Amino acid sequence: MAPSPDPNSVGDGPKRDEATTKVPTKDPKKKDDKKEEDLSEEDLQLKQNLELYVERVQDPNPELQKAALESMRQEIRASTSSMTSVPKPLKFLRPHYGTLKEFHKNMVESDLKKLLADILSVLALTMSAEGERESLGYRLTGSEGDIGSWGHEYVRNLAGEIAEEYTVRQGEEASIEDLMDLVQQIVAFHMKHNAETEAVDLLMDVEDLDLLLEHVDRTNFRRTCNYLTSAAKFLPGPDDMLVLDIAYMIYIKFEEYPNALQIALFLDNMQYVKQVFTSCTDLLKKKQFCYMISRHGITFELDPEMVENEVDREMLQDIVNNTKLSEGYLTLARDIEVMEAKTPEDIYKAHLLDGRASSGPSADSARQNLAATFVNAFVNAGFGQDKLMTVPSDSTTGSAGNWLFKNKEHGKTSAAASLGMILLWDVDAGLTHLDKYFHTNDNPIIAGALLGVGIVNCGIKNDCDPALALLGEYIDKEDSSVRIGAIMGLGIAYAGSQNDQIRSSLSPILNDAKAPLDVIAFAALSLGMIYVGSCNEEVAQSMIFALMDRSEAELGEALTRFLPLGLGLLYLGKQESVEATAEVSKTFNEKIRKYCDMTLLSCAYAGTGNVLKVQDLLAQCGEHLEKGDIHQGPAVIGLAMVAMSEELGLDMAIRSLERVLQYGEQNVRRAVPLALGLLCISNPKVTVMDTLSRLSHDTDSEVAMSAIISLGLIGAGTNNARIAGMLRNLSSYYYKDASLLFCVRIAQGLVHMGKGLLTLSPFHSERLLLSPTALAGIVTLLHACLDMKSIILGKYHYVLYFLVLAMQPRMMLTVDENLKPISVPVRVGQAVDVVGQAGRPKTITGFQTHSTPVLLAAGERAELATDKYIPLSPILEGFIILKENPDYREE
Amino acid sequence: MLTVSVKWQKKVFEDIEIDPTLPPYVFKAQLYDLTGVPPERQKIMVKGGLLKDDADWSAIGVKDGQKLMMMGTADEIVKAPEKAIVFAEDLPEEEQATHLGYSAGLVNLGNTCYMNSTVQCLKSVPELKSALSNYALTGRSNDVDQTSHMLTVATRELFGDLDRSVNAVSPTQFWMTLRKKFPQFSQLQNGMHMQQDAEECWTQLLYTLSQSLKAPTSSEDADAVKALFGVNLRSRVHCQESGEESSETESVYSLKCHISHEVNHLHEGLKHGLKGELEKTSPALGRTALYLKESLIDSLPRYLTVQFVRFFWKRETNQKAKILRKVDYPLELDIFDLCSEDLRKKLEAPRQKLRDEEGKKLGLQPKSSSKDSDVKMTDAEAPSNESGESSTITHQEGSSSEKGTLHMTGIYDLVSVLTHKGRSADSGHYVAWVKQESGKWIQYDDSHPSLQREEDITKLSGGGTLNLEIDHLRGFSFLTMLRQ
Repeated sequence: MAPSPDPNSVGDGPKRDEATTKVPTKDPKKKDDKKEEDLSEEDLQLKQNLELYVERVQDPNPELQKAALESMRQEIRASTSSMTSVPKPLKFLRPHYGTLKEFHKNMVESDLKKLLADILSVLALTMSAEGERESLGYRLTGSEGDIGSWGHEYVRNLAGEIAEEYTVRQGEEASIEDLMDLVQQIVAFHMKHNAETEAVDLLMDVEDLDLLLEHVDRTNFRRTCNYLTSAAKFLPGPDDMLVLDIAYMIYIKFEEYPNALQIALFLDNMQYVKQVFTSCTDLLKKKQFCYMISRHGITFELDPEMVENEVDREMLQDIVNNTKLSEGYLTLARDIEVMEAKTPEDIYKAHLLDGRASSGPSADSARQNLAATFVNAFVNAGFGQDKLMTVPSDSTTGSAGNWLFKNKEHGKTSAAASLGMILLWDVDAGLTHLDKYFHTNDNPIIAGALLGVGIVNCGIKNDCDPALALLGEYIDKEDSSVRIGAIMGLGIAYAGSQNDQIRSSLSPILNDAKAPLDVIAFAALSLGMIYVGSCNEEVAQSMIFALMDRSEAELGEALTRFLPLGLGLLYLGKQESVEATAEVSKTFNEKIRKYCDMTLLSCAYAGTGNVLKVQDLLAQCGEHLEKGDIHQGPAVIGLAMVAMSEELGLDMAIRSLERVLQYGEQNVRRAVPLALGLLCISNPKVTVMDTLSRLSHDTDSEVAMSAIISLGLIGAGTNNARIAGMLRNLSSYYYKDASLLFCVRIAQGLVHMGKGLLTLSPFHSERLLLSPTALAGIVTLLHACLDMKSIILGKYHYVLYFLVLAMQPRMMLTVDENLKPISVPVRVGQAVDVVGQAGRPKTITGFQTHSTPVLLAAGERAELATDKYIPLSPILEGFIILKENPDYREE
Repeated sequence: MLTVSVKWQKKVFEDIEIDPTLPPYVFKAQLYDLTGVPPERQKIMVKGGLLKDDADWSAIGVKDGQKLMMMGTADEIVKAPEKAIVFAEDLPEEEQATHLGYSAGLVNLGNTCYMNSTVQCLKSVPELKSALSNYALTGRSNDVDQTSHMLTVATRELFGDLDRSVNAVSPTQFWMTLRKKFPQFSQLQNGMHMQQDAEECWTQLLYTLSQSLKAPTSSEDADAVKALFGVNLRSRVHCQESGEESSETESVYSLKCHISHEVNHLHEGLKHGLKGELEKTSPALGRTALYLKESLIDSLPRYLTVQFVRFFWKRETNQKAKILRKVDYPLELDIFDLCSEDLRKKLEAPRQKLRDEEGKKLGLQPKSSSKDSDVKMTDAEAPSNESGESSTITHQEGSSSEKGTLHMTGIYDLVSVLTHKGRSADSGHYVAWVKQESGKWIQYDDSHPSLQREEDITKLSGGGTLNLEIDHLRGFSFLTMLRQ
């Protein structure tokens, strides 16, 4: 509603005023003559009345004045309720705005003056020039009546002006008390009238969100919090934390504990988590909280304060420790009927490639068998059975042993460790199967068994600490492959646990001058995992020393990149906390300095969506370097890490990567597919799929390799038929190139991971929470992929197992109050963003009805299709406890 | 006395008593009774550590009612298989090559795809290979000139290299001798060697080989190459004006498939190619007259080469143009009706036998002749195809390897195709398609061999624009077929 050139603008204001006051009849009359022609009688009447009031207002008689003002107010109020067009009284009063303004200036202080100020404030809504904030000015001098009586639009306009005024006054350090009174009124008005978003906006503008707590009520707190949490993603720090704090407090206030817990986890504030437990008294709900914590993958100890009863506490701790994850997963598998083990050939589907399959009988290729080992491990992950490794070995054919020995040297490490993957989360069975490998004297096999123990225990905690007990004594063995197996196993099993005992045994390795580089690299990585996002000073110190101790030659090695990465993981998502360390990193040898810089920056801001950091990293990618500098790779991956948290930023990042791909150096191009893979992990977007498919035929084989691996990553655990088809064709396209074929096989394994029941996405709880350990696992793999030839295609292929940290069932499993699975109908559909929408909008679209347990794909949401039960968490993912609805009646 | 519970696999053993005064080994023995796991295989986990046999219970700090975890099985320990597994990566290069199931490609030395394709097609004839390997390296007979000798040796070496190598072979030596022998292949254009006609290369090479392999010493097959590829034609030349008639015989290395607008199929083209008109002086008329020449096949080779005559000299543009007409060809060609009477008679018996065999295979009751079914025909398939220019040649096998008896049936299998892609003879690209002994088809595109489907081979027929499956313009030159 931009008014035409304001007749009262500063410059010619006085002149005009004069004109209107002196010749009230002549000048406007001419215009009126024209206008009057199209006015209806009613309008004409109104217009004349208003003109009369304007004249009367200027009458010296206060009685008359008052009556005129009252009538004018009546007219305006009666018409400002709707704002689809400029209300007629406002329109007709426009020419008189200046007159009234002038008059108001000269009035003596009185109630009448206030009354007139009120009216002027409303008139200013359409008349006031940009930046003048006259509406607010008159409001502040006017009477303090009910603000809502002038209509919604008026309030909105006022709110906008308050925000501007606030900034001005902040600059001048003037008092803002009068403003705040008004804010109180406006917020109260908005909150009552379904305009929570506007209330929040205003409060954010005046930096006083605490006010919100007084105004939310049962009817609107959900929408308010919803808006707060989604707005937080776009706010610069530390405002975002503040906003989430408020949301947390509101949730606690209304006893909406699951949401409160979510935010507590997002803030990584254990104090808040504890508060959720202490404020809630319902044991069943606490169980649900434990499921939520276990999905997030953090280590959390319950204490008597949170749960009094010891038996209950033990049971809850069991849930937090994920001991039932395997059971739940197998329930899902049985329900979906995919228990039957699959062989790598079932995945390759070579018969669909008519005639182009591998030719003739060929000898066992160590490379292809290794690929089959990984495919077998990924596909049968967590099912506890497969057709290569767990087949009962009879002495004659002894197939289990046989497959192991069909892998060569270091390949046997991955083969033995694959047993851990197959028996994932099932510690008892896993240890039983792995036991026999501990008694051989073949070092790679022992290393694999150690790694396998770590994998089996991934995300599972146990009082007896079997992983530590078994692996601890191998850390300082002679053979470096065995050491690496044990170290990496510990890193995987205890990721995020911040276990001191492990630190005291791993830290010395970092600074051991005699330790080989690969052992040091893996020790740094494991420490990074165990202390992920902890900002632990001591660990950081030992890593920094380790980095400084590296010789020039060692810094050129591919594995050295794990040292800065380990350091970066310590600060994963911790933003500014990294600064001190980043400062120290500037003193490193120039070979590694920039790499370290990029890694630290990207890790620290991972998942924050910080636009400034994205730009920093983009600038790095844009440079054209002459020498073989390697820091651009982590910069590209970092770009994805920072931008991945939120949909808009993610789309933007995908677009910028497309540019980087076109104009970047080869170094950069190689990392771009990996970044795309991270952005859309387990979420096969068609556009990204096409880009990667194109890159998978790139003339640069390293670009092609990363693109192929990334195709696997974006399709991980989805069974996506299109990607599967692409990979199948790639397998025939690259059937002669062993390295590329290996990548294709790995990608095929990833796509069918867990036969389609798993996801690698580190995000959960409707994409709000980011599991740090999961991200650490993926990022480690991506960094390893930056030098595919020396790491994954070399003898360190087992870094692929770091993905286990991110593997989670993409299920929704409903359990009853005794935690026994029950089947209920649910609707599963595409999630709809309902932030800021009034009423109770539909949260999903295009849904289908299934019975639980069900699989949830990326971007999907579930809702119960029955009223018989009440879910204890509003976020229907993972394990959901259902309570019988007492009000339910069978129809 | 402490009581603890021990978890082993999925079982929990409750209330196991520990006597803290006795070493943990005693406790392990207790567990041995329960689980059957010998103490030395037991791993008992107590709070992040393993229980040692000689540890002190009080130092470990086990509490009453604590849960312990035990790992261990009585299973057999994994042993490496006695016979070590051999991995393809560890094999010497030659063996890796055999595992691939086909031989290596040839590096393009600059417009040498015509030569590479020709070599690949010829190489697929095992008999030629064996003939070459018998060729004495030094024992050059006097009637073979030096360059021919060198080319023959170079061919032999190249075939050997191809069999041994996994990676593409560079045929430099062969190319040099080829250019020495046939200077026309050295033509330069813009400083580059020109694209040449694969048919010419094929013919010249075959001719050279047939000369040098004439085997002065061995009496058995006087001309190995001729036995493999040569076709004897008996022609009747007839003058309509004078009614004169004469007959003549000639020996060719390939049959021509003429492509005119009524030719849609290879068979028609061959028939067409065996008829011709020529002008010669008629002794009866005392002037030149038009003679009709009709040829029939008198003897069949083991490999029959068919040339699709796709290139012709276009006078207006002064270049070799290409006929893009689609001519179908079968995977199995029967040329019985192109044979002369004598040959037909010879073919009758083996053909009957073949039909019986086939009938039997299909489950039909063979007729009276079923008794001699124990005489089996050897199915030797070694087809090779080449596509160079505009001609196709098919080769037939004249004899089965068994005791030198001829089992000619007149039926040939397609074994290789040499194709040309492009608009004219001087441009475009030659590719060889060769059927392997495993029955798979390999496309040799210079240094890149790749697997192809059998269906795709017949789709190559379209020299023309209708061929949607494979890029666009392809013509073929040669087909080599083997008799069944």
